[in-house]
Amino acid sequence: MVFEEVYKTYWEKIFRLCMGYTNDYDLSRDLAQDTFILVWQQLPNFRNESNIGTWIFRIATNNCLRQIEKQNRFPKGELPLNLQEEKEKSIEPKIQLLYKFIAELEEIDRIIISLELENINQKEIAGIVGLSESNIRVKIHRIKKKLTENFLEYGIT
Amino acid sequence: MESHNLNFKELWSNQKVEQPALEEILLKIDNYKKKNIRKIIILNIFLAFLTIVILSIWYYFQPQLLTTKIGIVLIILAMFIFVISYNKNLSLLKKTNETESNQAYLKNLHKIKEKQIFLQTKILSIYFILLSLGLALYLYEFISRMSITGIILTYGITGVWILINWIYFRPRIIKKQQAQLNSIIRKLEGIQEQLKEN
Repeated sequence: MVFEEVYKTYWEKIFRLCMGYTNDYDLSRDLAQDTFILVWQQLPNFRNESNIGTWIFRIATNNCLRQIEKQNRFPKGELPLNLQEEKEKSIEPKIQLLYKFIAELEEIDRIIISLELENINQKEIAGIVGLSESNIRVKIHRIKKKLTENFLEYGIT
Repeated sequence: MESHNLNFKELWSNQKVEQPALEEILLKIDNYKKKNIRKIIILNIFLAFLTIVILSIWYYFQPQLLTTKIGIVLIILAMFIFVISYNKNLSLLKKTNETESNQAYLKNLHKIKEKQIFLQTKILSIYFILLSLGLALYLYEFISRMSITGIILTYGITGVWILINWIYFRPRIIKKQQAQLNSIIRKLEGIQEQLKEN
């Protein structure tokens, strides 16, 4: 697969994944860009034996996890500013809430639910995260329950 | 539950974003390549420059005593170790394989962070010891021609300077680096904990 093709097909998916992980519009754009730089670097090593989607999502999720190294460098005080901007960029409050609730989950749960909502099948999610399929299934169920509860607290059903 | 399921997916995919033009990302990739090459060039120039300076000292001053020569070698060694370990640090980071599963990736990252702690603390101490020892030996030949007060003054000032570095700056640098790495390691362990099968 050529880079341009991969980029066109996966950019939005990867952006949404990063958005679920951080709930920060600008940061997600940067993370998505970093992901594609990595994809570009690794593409010659990609062997067709695995699914290209799984392969790219692994790179993207690992890149998100890598954030733990960088957060030290960004003072948390900058966050409200970004959130303010996001409100202007995203129209629908329910969408905002969904991303906010997801970004508040534990790191691995954020990844799992983002992949699930991106319509990745559970077997693939298991392969990306490195957990068993049954475990993924249980986790998805729990996360969805938690998200529903969060929405209920806001009076949204 | 199912209706929520559908709802979530719909909401999720409605988060719109404008896809940046392909040219934008290609430009980033290009910059990234250039930056990497620049880094390697700068490092090599620095190492070459260092070697030339030290060798010209050797050549122009024609040291007579073996201690001076040993001193020079130790100083060069100290600097090389420092630069090489800094590079090793960089190359360690390159060993992460982003195409592995999250589980394997985090495990690998954890190992790398622990190696970094070792590199940063041990190497810094070795660097200081070699540099101090080298400097003391190197100065010996020049100092031996001085008066007693000259000797005391020169060694005294050098000694105090080395001590300040060893007692004050070294532990501070190490502490700062370790605090950073330890906080990363703690976070890593937290995430790895989430990955235990239940």
